Amino acid sequence: MGLTGDLRVSVQSLLNATEAMDVTSTNIANLNTPGYARRVLVMEEDQPTGTYPGSSGAQVASVHTIRDKVVDMAINAKTSEQNANSTLSTALSAVQTEFSDTTAASIGTGIDSFFSALQSLSTSPTNTSMRAIVLTKAGNVASAFQSTSFAIVQARQQADQSVVQSTSDANSILQQIAEVNQQLAISQAVGKEDNANEDRLSSLLTKLAGIMDYQTVNSSDGLTLTTTSGVPLVVGSSAYALTNQLDAAGFNQVYAGGVNITGTVQGGELGGYLQARDQVLNTLGTQLDQFAYDFAKAVNDVQTTGVDLNGNAGTALFNPPDTTTGNSAGAAAAITVALTSGAQIAASSSVGATADNSNLMKMIKLQSQAVSNGDTPAQAFSGLTFQVGNAISQANSNATAVGNILTQLQNQQSSAEHVSLEEETSNLILYQRSYQAAAKVISVIDNLMVDVLNMGASSGGYQ
Amino acid sequence: MRVNPDFSADMVTLMGQAQQAVQTAAMQLSTGRRVNLPSDDPAAAAAMVEENTLAAGVDQFQSNTTSLQDTLNTANSTLNSVVTLMQKAITLGTEGGNGAMNTSNLTAIASEVSGIKSEMLSLANTSYAGSYLFGGTYNGGPPYSVNATDSTKVDYNGNNHQNMVQISTGLYVASNLPGSQIFSQTGSNVFDSLQALISALQSGNYTAVGAATTNLSTSLNVVSAAQAFYGEASTELSNNETYLAQEKLTITTRQDALVSADMATAATTLTQAQTALSASVQAAAKITQFNLLDYIR
Repeated sequence: MGLTGDLRVSVQSLLNATEAMDVTSTNIANLNTPGYARRVLVMEEDQPTGTYPGSSGAQVASVHTIRDKVVDMAINAKTSEQNANSTLSTALSAVQTEFSDTTAASIGTGIDSFFSALQSLSTSPTNTSMRAIVLTKAGNVASAFQSTSFAIVQARQQADQSVVQSTSDANSILQQIAEVNQQLAISQAVGKEDNANEDRLSSLLTKLAGIMDYQTVNSSDGLTLTTTSGVPLVVGSSAYALTNQLDAAGFNQVYAGGVNITGTVQGGELGGYLQARDQVLNTLGTQLDQFAYDFAKAVNDVQTTGVDLNGNAGTALFNPPDTTTGNSAGAAAAITVALTSGAQIAASSSVGATADNSNLMKMIKLQSQAVSNGDTPAQAFSGLTFQVGNAISQANSNATAVGNILTQLQNQQSSAEHVSLEEETSNLILYQRSYQAAAKVISVIDNLMVDVLNMGASSGGYQ
Repeated sequence: MRVNPDFSADMVTLMGQAQQAVQTAAMQLSTGRRVNLPSDDPAAAAAMVEENTLAAGVDQFQSNTTSLQDTLNTANSTLNSVVTLMQKAITLGTEGGNGAMNTSNLTAIASEVSGIKSEMLSLANTSYAGSYLFGGTYNGGPPYSVNATDSTKVDYNGNNHQNMVQISTGLYVASNLPGSQIFSQTGSNVFDSLQALISALQSGNYTAVGAATTNLSTSLNVVSAAQAFYGEASTELSNNETYLAQEKLTITTRQDALVSADMATAATTLTQAQTALSASVQAAAKITQFNLLDYIR
């Protein structure tokens, strides 16, 4: 290899340095781009072409993206889990104030006051103002049941609306993933490393993980995305849009390609909203209805065996509950006070003794009797309070625990993938020097060539 | 392993956690409570529901005790008047029965006893807070009334029932004693005894006057026994008041332990959290100042 060979090698070096600076500037430009994984230039030695094996240049083998796919997948899974928990906590938080002991109008306080009013009346069973107070307190119990029931229904409806929103958000991402898949397939067909689309795909997968959990399979036509139950979401360049359909109760179910996947989505916002709507709040609402039904029925049962101040047989204190069917559904929302006058409270047990309080004493004893599902009224309310508090507290501590793992994983991801400004700056200096060195070599060769060319033009011999 | 060049995410998480800790501590200090919402401590919030019921119960037992005290005191002082009246009638009967009185004096004594009888009727019909004290649980009108056909007779319209009132967990006291156990007990009817004395005085039958006076003494014993009932009930109520005050304190202590913040701990936690927050903020500010680019000129 002669001077021309050296010149060719040096020109290649110049181009290599330029390419390297391209990579560095791309890295610096994308310092804060989400989903961007840093690029590194992979250089390799040219195969020697000349007679002398020592004389060969270098060329750019590839521009490689440093991406730890295992960590990326773990991050997506944990993102799903964290979002599900924090969404669940938020969706439930509106309900729990109804159960706080600082809430003056809670069911618990209402029932306590109702029994206190009955106790007061027992000391003076004919007192009309005390009878009126009993009805007022019964009204407070009814409205506390109603307002708690309303809070639960409202929270469920809000979660339902969010399910629709999350479905549409997921669809837009699924569509974009399908497009990226298509472009990656084209790049793959021509054997090109398509870093930009890999970045986009990575970013889209993390976004989708925030909305729902999913599974990925690498197949010949790019990435295949399915739900955790295996229902396809994206296959190659086709996205299967999620749809919503109302169920019998008026709540939106989520369908993927005609399959109802509502029960299988656990992660992401969607999973959180579904868990709040279909599990925690649903159970809570049913139990509240049962409690309202049982409480009203227990009071009514005692009331109807007694005699009121006018000597008439007692009639139900609370509406409805419909004891003929025994169906408690909707009882908490529908409960009202049926009596219109305090005189109708059946305090007495016998017609001739309207100042008697023995029936009232039976009603008072309900406070310490198992009236609902083996629980006293206070125990029943206490149980519901624990359930709400525990669901939120568990979701919060899960979110925190997953958050800590996520931070670890993100650190791990960043240390592999994130652009380091220091690294790029020192690379920049290195490539600048390479460029300068290559340029210097060219300049030296140029001088040598001038010397060679001038050899014949001189008056003979060296000057 | 390559050093993570992106510490901003870590910084944000750390500062967020420090800020959360400051908020929690400040909230506890300002409200004085560790548990404000069920999710702060689900088990404590649930236990608090039952403690609140117990506390409301004790408050109500205290109120029941007070109102019973008032009723029983009124009944007791009424019976004091009854006893005074009966003693007066017995004195009059003894005077009228000693044989030293002339007819006009006996008539005068008879009309005095007659006055005692109608006063007695009014005492037996005493009401308090809208209900008659001695009618049992009858509520159709005054428990005692003059018989429509025989005006010398007094009828009892009430019944023999007692109302029980709860004054503590599992503890009940009777809030009344029916007139049938005070004034009109079978064999010892106050009104009949008074009427017998009046009739005997009017007819000048000394033997009958003596017998009627003896009957009155028997009736007085019955009334005294009734006074003892009210006295015992009153003592029980006073003892109960003391017990309830202690019980209330015990419940309040338990409630405090469940939901109240330990102020000293909360204050210390606040200081620690503030220190942690300011340290993480300062660290973030320091670290972000350095960059290799600053050193290359």
